[in-house]
Amino acid sequence: MIEAQNISVSIGSRRIISDVDFEVRPGEIAAIVGPNGSGKTTFLKALTGDLPYTGRVVINNRDMAGLKPWETASMRAVLPQSTALSFPFTVHEIVKLGLMSGRSGALAGEERNLPERALVRVDLDGFAGRFYQELSGGEQQRVQLARVLCQVWAPVLDGNPRYLFLDEPVSSLDIKHQLIIMDIARDFALRGGGVVAILHDLNLTAMYADRIFVMHRGRLAAAGTPQEVLSDDLISEVFECGLKVGRLPAGNTPFVLPQSAAV
Amino acid sequence: MVDSVAGSVGNMERRASAGDRSARAKFAIVLLAVLLGVTVLLSLASGASDASALAVVRDGLFPSMSDGSALSERDRIIVYDIRLPRVVLGVLIGSALAVSGAVMQGLFRNPLADPGLVGVSAGAGLGAIVVIVLGGTVLGPLLAILGIYTLPLAAFAGALATTLVLYRVATRRGQTSIATMLLAGIALGAMAGAFSGIMVYLADDRQLRDLTFWGLGSLAGATWTKIAAAGPIIALALIASPFLARGLNALALGEAAAHHLGIPVQWFKNVAIVSVAAATGASVAVSGGIGFVGIVVPHLLRLIIGPDNRYLLPASALLGASMLLLADAISRTIVAPAELPLGIITAAGGGPFFLWILLRKRGLLDL
Repeated sequence: MIEAQNISVSIGSRRIISDVDFEVRPGEIAAIVGPNGSGKTTFLKALTGDLPYTGRVVINNRDMAGLKPWETASMRAVLPQSTALSFPFTVHEIVKLGLMSGRSGALAGEERNLPERALVRVDLDGFAGRFYQELSGGEQQRVQLARVLCQVWAPVLDGNPRYLFLDEPVSSLDIKHQLIIMDIARDFALRGGGVVAILHDLNLTAMYADRIFVMHRGRLAAAGTPQEVLSDDLISEVFECGLKVGRLPAGNTPFVLPQSAAV
Repeated sequence: MVDSVAGSVGNMERRASAGDRSARAKFAIVLLAVLLGVTVLLSLASGASDASALAVVRDGLFPSMSDGSALSERDRIIVYDIRLPRVVLGVLIGSALAVSGAVMQGLFRNPLADPGLVGVSAGAGLGAIVVIVLGGTVLGPLLAILGIYTLPLAAFAGALATTLVLYRVATRRGQTSIATMLLAGIALGAMAGAFSGIMVYLADDRQLRDLTFWGLGSLAGATWTKIAAAGPIIALALIASPFLARGLNALALGEAAAHHLGIPVQWFKNVAIVSVAAATGASVAVSGGIGFVGIVVPHLLRLIIGPDNRYLLPASALLGASMLLLADAISRTIVAPAELPLGIITAAGGGPFFLWILLRKRGLLDL
């Protein structure tokens, strides 16, 4: 389990995050939602140790502050929003970087094929020989996810759960690949790992998240199950527009929900 | 269902090597090692004198095979005391320049970083010039303590200071701006040039001559003493480079991603900066500013074996050494018996190559 208490982050003299409590349990997807600039990514960066914070983050009963980078690397992997490269790496070479920490948790002998298997999982079968820089943004994002999956291939290592941190994993993807990626996250959780994801699509969030943390102006506005959190009042207030949960569009305006997909 | 799974596993096996250039890279490293061996022998064998290095080597290694035509003492001196130190120094400097270029490009995450282009060599040069000009007077006591290491250490200090300032200026929140880096390099180079100018103003006639020849960049005047002075520092930087490879690969994804992969980023960057400064400083101290090796060699190799630093760094060391020896051979023979400074050859070849890179990567700058 990851538990964060009273997390605050300041950049310069500006306070960006104030007193946020957060937790994710093994077997769960915890989604962080909120409007632009509400501090979601900053909070995630505090959780992953990229930004200095005050408060306490405990991962599998160990205080994050006392862990070395290579120790945290064996406990969690992080998918950034986007990654630009200046050198001509092939897709295979990028995905293989995920094996760098040496604790993929795959069976001996499986590791050699891991990059290719990870690419198949993110629906990039046959892309191994392509150049990363020549791919579209959505394809690059999935290559990075394959790399991240290699790093924590086994959701449980030595009896300890591991975690995936996903910063807007589906924002540049088409609907099919949004579902594929969220299914990968759900599968990771079902096999005993924990997932923390920043999401913008409230329908996808409702469909996949076990627990939702709503951020607003650097603070936690609400936390709970989708049923508890996604109420008219709360999301209207947080997103500052009058939203209604479960209201169908008037007349015959078409709408498409991810929940309708038969995968 | 079972069939399709078996089929896809079979496909996976077949494609396991797609995008994996490690076998090609290893093969290239072997070829480059052979190339370096050949270049070393050719360099030993050629020169203004007709002393045959092959005969010297043969007589030295296999006295029994000697055909009786004893080598003259003069040939022996030419090969052992003139050509051999020059070749050894060429190998050291060539690999140091190429590796420090590659490491710097990895550190700054961009293929245009090169100690010569962004003012680091100029900073090293300033350190060296200060010692050359003030060594006899103000810095006398320092020279007495550090001996032959004063010059390379001063150049190292100049290179280190420049690299640190450059990194501070060009990097914000873990992202390095290419434009800022190149522009900051121009400013730092100009500042180092200004201070160097003051030193030149203070120099006497003999020092001026030294400075002029040194400044053009050359392996001429290679001695075992110079090798003893710069060799250990360069060797340390070269030995450190394989340990930087993994971290540089991770850094290609950005500082945050490198941290997520388990690299202690801050510590790692410091080691990389010190090793670039050491290799650049020691090279500049003994051979002056030899430009473009650090940008041409890694760039060519990336086209062939890819950017994986585990292979790129050793391959750069080998090709850098070979290229410098070849350039030196040209510099010694093109206007024989006189010789052209090596820096002129590398600049004449490297300048157009650099423009070619810019043309191919115009979008990269995004000023």
